[in-house]
Amino acid sequence: MSNEAASRATQDVDAHTRVGRTFWGRLSNWSPYRALMGLVTASPRRQFLILAIFPLLWVLTQHLGPMLQMVRVSLTDAYPVAPGVEQHFTLDNYARFFGDQIFWQPFFRTLIFAGGFTFCTLILTYPVAYFLARHVSRKNQMLFLLLLLIPFWVGEIVRTYAIMILLGNTGALNLVLQSLGLIDRPIPFMYTSFSMGVGIVYLTALYMLLPLYSALEKLPRSYNEAAADLGAGAWTRFRRVTLPLTIEGISSGCTLVFLISTGFYATPVLLGGPSTTTFAETIAGFFHVAGDEWPTGAAFATIMFFAALVLTAVFQKLMNALRKGDTK
Amino acid sequence: MNRGNRILLSCVYWAFVLYVFVPLILMILMGFKDSKFIGFPIKSWTLDWYTGIFADAEILSTLGYSAAIAVLATLISVAVGTWIAVLLEGRKFWGRTAIFGMTVLPALVPGIISAIAFRIYARYLGIEPGMGAIVWAHAVHNVPFVVLVVMARLSTLPKSQLEAARDLGADPIIAFLRITLPYLVPAILGASIFCLLLSFDDFVRSFFLGGYEPTLPVLIFAKLKSGMSPEINAIATVALVLTAAIGIWAERFTRRMNKDTKA
Amino acid sequence: MTDQTPLVRIEGVSKHFGDTVALDNLTLDIARGEFVTFLGPSGCGKSTTLRILGGFERPTTGRVILDGQDVTTQPPEKRQVNMVFQDYALFPHMTVGQNISFGLELKGMDKTSIKRRSDEIMAFLELDAFGDRYPAQLSGGQRQRVALARALAPDPALLLLDEPLGALDAKLRGQVQQELKSIQRRTNKTFFFVTHDQEEALTMSDRIVVMNKGRVEQDGTPEDLYFHPASRFVAEFIGETNLLSGEMRGHDGDAVVMDWFGQTLRGHAPAGAPPEGAPITASVRLEKLGFHASRPETGNAVQGKVVGKTFLGSRMAVDLMVEEAQGATLRAFVDAETGQTVGADPVWIGWDSDSMAVLRD
Repeated sequence: MSNEAASRATQDVDAHTRVGRTFWGRLSNWSPYRALMGLVTASPRRQFLILAIFPLLWVLTQHLGPMLQMVRVSLTDAYPVAPGVEQHFTLDNYARFFGDQIFWQPFFRTLIFAGGFTFCTLILTYPVAYFLARHVSRKNQMLFLLLLLIPFWVGEIVRTYAIMILLGNTGALNLVLQSLGLIDRPIPFMYTSFSMGVGIVYLTALYMLLPLYSALEKLPRSYNEAAADLGAGAWTRFRRVTLPLTIEGISSGCTLVFLISTGFYATPVLLGGPSTTTFAETIAGFFHVAGDEWPTGAAFATIMFFAALVLTAVFQKLMNALRKGDTK
Repeated sequence: MNRGNRILLSCVYWAFVLYVFVPLILMILMGFKDSKFIGFPIKSWTLDWYTGIFADAEILSTLGYSAAIAVLATLISVAVGTWIAVLLEGRKFWGRTAIFGMTVLPALVPGIISAIAFRIYARYLGIEPGMGAIVWAHAVHNVPFVVLVVMARLSTLPKSQLEAARDLGADPIIAFLRITLPYLVPAILGASIFCLLLSFDDFVRSFFLGGYEPTLPVLIFAKLKSGMSPEINAIATVALVLTAAIGIWAERFTRRMNKDTKA
Repeated sequence: MTDQTPLVRIEGVSKHFGDTVALDNLTLDIARGEFVTFLGPSGCGKSTTLRILGGFERPTTGRVILDGQDVTTQPPEKRQVNMVFQDYALFPHMTVGQNISFGLELKGMDKTSIKRRSDEIMAFLELDAFGDRYPAQLSGGQRQRVALARALAPDPALLLLDEPLGALDAKLRGQVQQELKSIQRRTNKTFFFVTHDQEEALTMSDRIVVMNKGRVEQDGTPEDLYFHPASRFVAEFIGETNLLSGEMRGHDGDAVVMDWFGQTLRGHAPAGAPPEGAPITASVRLEKLGFHASRPETGNAVQGKVVGKTFLGSRMAVDLMVEEAQGATLRAFVDAETGQTVGADPVWIGWDSDSMAVLRD
């Protein structure tokens, strides 16, 4: 009885002193935690390994893993493997791509479209970025930029749908053209490469605008003033000073927009027609039907990925060479 | 000359503003049209489409489903991304470039390829199509954005801050929780909002990894395939208002936080 | 405390960063209650030493012993050592009070003791009024005091100060130097101070260790270093001095005899005398040179011609050319009145053999 009371009393004292400490004080003096941290901090090397092991495993298994698995599946004859069936290594899935026009035509079409749309986006957004960086006071720049950002928070599908309403046969554009008397009958904008282009440019413009804006904004205005001082006209100033010094922004904006454009699936499905089938739609086709088409789909996705990667790498090299050539 | 340029450029800017806003405004207007037929002109107006969707249990549950996916995926991305950022920022070690490259990889893979790769990998890991698979794919896809934002903020934390904490008796974990984490709050909030929007708006990954229950963009897509209707406009408008509101609020909030910590 | 064992013992410590040697085999004791300053240009190894003592770097070789305990591999949080950082490193999201309590909390003190101790230290450093302010709301001098309070609060055995006055303006710096010295006396703590500013070092320290290229150049009291520099580096780094290049001739009792362009001069060699015939450099401080109307009886004397004068307020710097020594020049500090009277006529310049030190190169 008295023992129990005594132990309760000491517990109370303990509880009291423990309550008296702050949370961090209690934690850092709690012996199991101390022992654990002692082990962790025993050497800088061990501390680093404990910090590094999870990120390393994560990027290997979650970031690289899916890509590697895709490549692996593309080299097999059946996936998912049905019970009792043996899986074989094969290159047939890649051979299929070159064997049929129905496959490689959308592939080249996608790359050409993506390149073209990227160029259009660049032409469209460069003056906007230039205006923002050069002609808007620093105080208002964020406001003007924010105004453009708002629509880009809206999702891909909603914005694609908005373009459908704009370009439909009874859409706003045809209505305006008709009421102006420019056309008698609605122009069928929809389900063409035009509608697809308008949609894709609409979706990607921001990814071009932001790198351009930050490149232009970093450029000191004094460069242009110096050029003007030396007698360069507006066009010469732009071509000889501004453009070469913003090549980095152009290059990263184009790379981003190109990669994003090649990856669109819903937009071409909704805005394009039979004559504009993209490779994304071709690839997706293999995943809608029975599972034994997966390896082919994986092979096509792999081809697409490496083609996009090689093209952007070549493009960046070219832009780099251009920049160096200009600064010489 | 300069003045002329300026006027010309400002016209281009405002034309661009029209270009990005007009389609959305038209889309919103169409949701109030009192007719099942999509197209201009709009002769009479109604709110029936909105009362319809708010009475539709399926649409409401889809909204909740999308939001739940976005929140879960964001929590994972932020935790993992912050950890990776802490490892990569301000440290030199063998293989750093390789790890950084692998970190940003999911952000660079074109959408359809990323969706296919996740679809195959989910099968390989034994994750059934559905909520778990979508959350996982969104989380992985969004990690690079968190890493980049958090690294940018972390690079401005003076090294002496952590050293001072260690010096005063904080072990690495307590120093992280009491010094680094509070400093990162604006970046983490900004990255979270960005992830929430990316995940909520994502179509292609949700489409290929989803089960029978659609997310909001997948639902809109499916309805669109079976024909346009002002009902879709109403749903899309709700999604638009939600995302734009979160975006604007986040922009203001992070800017205020940044201003506070700069002082 | 009358404990005679050194508080800190640095034993053969080296630190390599890749191929560069930041610290080369340093061995040193620091006594309890001492104000030691590590002085030298950037990259001399002084900051590396400080960081090794703080636990932020591990030495490549050697040991660090603190209060009889080997702490070489101990992380900073386990050491009874606190630091005042160059940029103060105050936590911006915590108030002054929270900053000061930070170390106390982690020691596991209860809330009442934390309050008592932080109030005490804030009163001691006259920070009582600022407890609820954030660092951003304080002036540079106040921040510096908060950093000091935060480091002193957990009652460290050793306090490290990493150029803590660098961010203050010149006027405030002088005042803070006095304050720091008096705080060190009143707390009787061991201060390890790192700076590249020789004036700061001379004003505050009990002992100065001059570092260069990862090695100790000289270790002694401020007076020692100033008047008896052992090496050319120390002579040039601390204060202004006349450097006389000559040749070693021999000994005369305790004194060393040298030849300076045909003039025979006597000095002393704190770092040991070089062999006869070796080329040597000697240093004599500007204020040690005196002007005489006729050749002084004792000590060194040469005759010189005034070639320039610089007025410095309370005193004057006079440049002299010694024709007999192949036109070599000397510079002397004299009070302003004497400076005004010397003129066209040659004067005798005299100095004690004690005030001229033969240097190690």
